[in-house]
Amino acid sequence: MPAFQPGLVHTPVTPFTREGTLDLDLYAKLIEFHIGQGADALALPMHAGESVSLPDGERRALLAYAIKCVNGRKPVIAHVSETGTGIAAALARHAQEIGATAIVATTPYYWTPPPAMVLEHFAQIGAAVEIPFFLYNAPEDMQGTKVTAELCLKLIDRLGNFAGVVDLSLDWQFMIELMTDAPQRRPAFQLLAGTELMVSAGAIGATSMFAPLAGIAPKLVRTLCDLCRDQKLFEARAAQEAIAALRQAVKPGGVAGLKAAMRAMGRDCGEPRPPVLPLDAVAHQKLVGELDAIAALRAEPRGW
Amino acid sequence: MPTKFRGVMQSPVTPLKDDFSLDLSTFERLLDFHVRTGATAISWPHHKGESLNLTISERKLFAEAAVRVVNGRIPVTIHVSALAVEDTMELARHAQRVGADGILAITPYFWTPSLAAIHAYFVRLCSSIGLPVLSYNSPSYLAGVEITGDLMSRLIEQLPNFMGVKEASFNSEKFLEISRAALSMRPDFAMLTGVEYLLPSVPLGGVGSYSAAGSICPNLCSQLFDACIAGDWPRARELQSKVSWLWLLFRDQYPSSLKGGMVMMGRPVGPTRAPLPTATKERQAYVHSELARLGILDTEPHGW
Repeated sequence: MPAFQPGLVHTPVTPFTREGTLDLDLYAKLIEFHIGQGADALALPMHAGESVSLPDGERRALLAYAIKCVNGRKPVIAHVSETGTGIAAALARHAQEIGATAIVATTPYYWTPPPAMVLEHFAQIGAAVEIPFFLYNAPEDMQGTKVTAELCLKLIDRLGNFAGVVDLSLDWQFMIELMTDAPQRRPAFQLLAGTELMVSAGAIGATSMFAPLAGIAPKLVRTLCDLCRDQKLFEARAAQEAIAALRQAVKPGGVAGLKAAMRAMGRDCGEPRPPVLPLDAVAHQKLVGELDAIAALRAEPRGW
Repeated sequence: MPTKFRGVMQSPVTPLKDDFSLDLSTFERLLDFHVRTGATAISWPHHKGESLNLTISERKLFAEAAVRVVNGRIPVTIHVSALAVEDTMELARHAQRVGADGILAITPYFWTPSLAAIHAYFVRLCSSIGLPVLSYNSPSYLAGVEITGDLMSRLIEQLPNFMGVKEASFNSEKFLEISRAALSMRPDFAMLTGVEYLLPSVPLGGVGSYSAAGSICPNLCSQLFDACIAGDWPRARELQSKVSWLWLLFRDQYPSSLKGGMVMMGRPVGPTRAPLPTATKERQAYVHSELARLGILDTEPHGW
């Protein structure tokens, strides 16, 4: 299988109407925005796209609609994380059937499983498809459930399509151990930065980046990703610090903060679905003030 | 003026006799070894030096020895963290009296102090002496207690001798949040990693590290630092992989395995005090086989 290198991966939010239903017209517009603003690939619906708030039917419909809109212009990576292994594997098969380029999945929700269970979960999801499978390591989002380098090596032995790790642990010990050992077993094995903190990951060997902030600051994430891929790591520090400031402003509100920031940039995608609440007035005002203070955002597109 | 606390700084282990008493003559020899093999500074006693297994009077005795033996050839800082804050204050005053170049202090042990309590602690410590103070951030060993970027800013603003941090989270975001807060206010603030994670930290403003492996492979440590500062990332990755593997090797039963490895390098420093184990012959043999596999036995100094 030729190695698929995702590059800069935008992870769009999922727009909802005021009534909380999927707003597919707006989603089409959002996808055009991401493609027009330099995404090398799209991954959806990630946690930033409220994957866990979409019932199975909606989630499949959303993916199918996105793939239709993209129409082969860019690769689409389907996020298939689920609590039950069988449910995740079924989502993976569906993604492959309708033309996704690759799948990505994290550890099971809720169960905080021990390593043997995590390994089996990933092995079954990966084995359900032939397209590349990326593992999403996000212990902070997943109640501390960690993926180890040892587990990844076992998974390489079991899955021919295990292509790499999208890392949101930000853990240098893990990333360096992984990139010391895994490419020896599978030379095309990839490390991808799981968020816009790419300088350290890029030094360790990451060549791609998932970018949940791309809907807010597409130019900045492009600059950061390009500099890191070109190994201009000292030069990347200014862009990295600007994005870190943006991340700190948005992060306390989670997906509500992300959507509020989208609105502040003139790209209203509605509010998040329950149980996530919209930002209250104080938090909203604070966020807007912090966004105003980030000079780099002045060069970013406003509106669609 | 650039900070004098930069490069790969050595924190010697504490040599003990067979009856577990302090071995002063071997300590003197070890200090001299570090100075001759490229250490850019000495700092003692870190946890690797079994700080918390030493009495306060033992710590004072060896602190004096460190300053005397190094004799101004490179800076010497004294790690003053102790279970009781009053002991920390006493060790700090003592370090100043005996002519140390600075002190190092971790966030207080055991109490999981609030940010306000950590702030009060460093204000008191820094105000009690005229020496430069380096802070020590180690959230994974201290139940998540950490110095945030905001707290770092407040301390820098308030305290002219608050000069750096030993940052041991090994996490991209935590390091970056501290570095961008600190360096914007005090450009010569010393951003140092806890062990030699130089590859992911130097491009974010890191200027050095303390060393886990320097008593085994000082050449490798210096080469890694040089490659990072030169921006030679392919070489830095190769060297970092080796150094990081050694960290994983020594982290297991730290510092017992390290002391066991020193026996294999012809620099025996005796046992480790309880409750830490002393490396068995079998453990020493395993460490030896790993050092051979990594080529350390052929490229690093043997004996004193």
